Amino acid sequence: MKNMLRIEELRVTVEGKEILKGVTLEVGAGEVHAVMGPNGSGKSTLAYVLAGREGYEVTGGRVLFLGQDLLAMEPEERAAAGLFLAMQYPVEIPGVSNMYFLRQAMNAVRKARGEPEIAAGAFMKMLREKARLVGIRDELLKRDVNTGFSGGEKKRNEILQLAMLEPKLAVLDETDSGLDIDALKAVAEAVNSLRGPDRAFLVITHYQRLLEHIEPDHVHVMVDGRIRRSGGKELALELERHGYEQFAAAAA
Amino acid sequence: MGAATRRIDPPPFYGELFARERTRLPGHGRAALDRVREEAFTRFLGLGLPTQKAEAWKYSPITRLANREMALAEPTVPGLEEVSAWFGGGPATRRLIFVDGHLQPEFSHVGGLPAGVRVMGLARAIETIPEAVAEALAGCDPERAFSQLNAALTRSGAWIELADGVALEEPLQLLFLHRGGDSAVMTHPRIVIRLGRGARLHLLETHAGSGSGHCFVNLVGQAVLGDGAELLCDRLQLGGSGLSLLARGFLEMGAGARLRATTVALGSGFLRNEIELRLAGREGEAILSGLYMPRGEEHVDTLVRIHHEAENCHSDQFYKGVVEDRARAAFAGKIIVHRGAQKTNAYQANNNLLLSDRAEVNSKPELEIYADDVKCSHGATCGDLDPEALFYLRARGLAREVASSLLVYAFANEVIERMADARLQALTRRAMLERVPGGAALEAEGLL
Repeated sequence: MKNMLRIEELRVTVEGKEILKGVTLEVGAGEVHAVMGPNGSGKSTLAYVLAGREGYEVTGGRVLFLGQDLLAMEPEERAAAGLFLAMQYPVEIPGVSNMYFLRQAMNAVRKARGEPEIAAGAFMKMLREKARLVGIRDELLKRDVNTGFSGGEKKRNEILQLAMLEPKLAVLDETDSGLDIDALKAVAEAVNSLRGPDRAFLVITHYQRLLEHIEPDHVHVMVDGRIRRSGGKELALELERHGYEQFAAAAA
Repeated sequence: MGAATRRIDPPPFYGELFARERTRLPGHGRAALDRVREEAFTRFLGLGLPTQKAEAWKYSPITRLANREMALAEPTVPGLEEVSAWFGGGPATRRLIFVDGHLQPEFSHVGGLPAGVRVMGLARAIETIPEAVAEALAGCDPERAFSQLNAALTRSGAWIELADGVALEEPLQLLFLHRGGDSAVMTHPRIVIRLGRGARLHLLETHAGSGSGHCFVNLVGQAVLGDGAELLCDRLQLGGSGLSLLARGFLEMGAGARLRATTVALGSGFLRNEIELRLAGREGEAILSGLYMPRGEEHVDTLVRIHHEAENCHSDQFYKGVVEDRARAAFAGKIIVHRGAQKTNAYQANNNLLLSDRAEVNSKPELEIYADDVKCSHGATCGDLDPEALFYLRARGLAREVASSLLVYAFANEVIERMADARLQALTRRAMLERVPGGAALEAEGLL
């Protein structure tokens, strides 16, 4: 197993409050890991810290991504290195067309990797293909980024970006929240089609439901800023039956 | 504050200029018109030039500009490219073209318009319908000094009249080129628009000037929209450091009339747009959008007053500003809901991006409501780029500078997207992008 992401004893503070209290996690190439936990456990903080959002103070530990010190990199450098965060709340950017944004993002990542820009024709062909895969109407591609999109369309748009940018590690932050069952299936199918030996996924979710469609190799339970337990996919089912309370009691 | 400090007497050159020029103005010798001009000039002297102590001019250093000795601009002839660079519309678009306030008949073309459409230069209107012109000049804006000065000294502009039920599908363009000269000049164009019941007009109004010589443009537009009439108006203003453009629009709208006006005042030495609008009949609708982007030492300000005088009217103001360097901008928008104007819907938003520590914006939203069953809201913001949006773009691989440029572009483009004419819109977008820091790089990467 090729090691892709290595989080060691990561401690993170937000506005003076410690949210991550020593998280350790390893993700190998080709693996799908799920991080589950109750609200406020620090799951989304972990996702944002990995992607490099401002406002998080790392007070301890380190993160290696493909051997590089991830936390020392700018968000765009992380993207270029192959990290992708599908956001829980995708931002609306009125005034920029979705299509232009996608092409800019693709070319920025390619340029950083020393690859040539994608030709307009090849881009359009790929975009149509991937849009069909995630179930995004052509009309949404022409609209401004996420502007006027429904909750489900925004999430599909995140997965479309994921499919276009072809990252090495994709972090999905509560991609299932606010999705109806059809959208959930479509998103899961798209993610499954992107699985491969060189790509890893970190799927962050509150519910087990998404994991019925995206089968994880490993499941981690995060409670109060720490991974309390790790196991196989059966752990998700156990959580579905018994909830997080057993862990909350242990943490208290 | 005493009234005395809110105005100053106009400097003597105005009197000398009026005495010298009045006999050269078009239609001189027609008693009704002469009298209107005489009275307007007297009113101007009495009203005086407003100082920044006057509330409506608080952030607008107009007096410094209007106090300098100026002459009326002499006609000059530009090359065709200088003019055609600002063409909007399509192949059938008719245009009146003004250079330093003089109508250029060799470039203008307003022939072949459908029956019921009357479009002509103001001088021509004075020849053919002098009483109507005199009446229009006399009846507009009696309390505003610059409007009176315009009425006294105007010698060019446009007369646009559409009969009941007539629609002009192709846009009509009023193209102003302000070249200025070595010495300071001023012009006083006047635009009169009359739309009959159910008439429809798409107007493009562009002001461009590259000169650094002081050129003061005191424009007054007045429009009456009959019941059910519709006016679409796309405006672009972009000038050099020497251009001072003071543009006043006074509009009266009948029942069910609709106005959609988008004003992109990118910048120049001094730009001020005033819109005063009366929703005088039921179910009128006015959507006013605006963008300003001053940089360097430029100044752009906007004053909007919307009077809701009848029931069930809707007005929406959507103004955005991007202010850079040491530039200054101001926005004052007032919604006045008169007694009895029930079921009014009135909205106002003014959002500003400040791109430098020394840039300045003053935003002043105001509501005055004398009816009890209304929905009104206003909001103003002033600040930096949205950090969430910036992070989103960077997380997708865009470098910080590129992401910032793109967000500034997007912010401004939201207004430009409201322009109805594709050609003018494209031209405006290009000119806007030129003002975005890092915009050239975006353009090189195929943004437009």
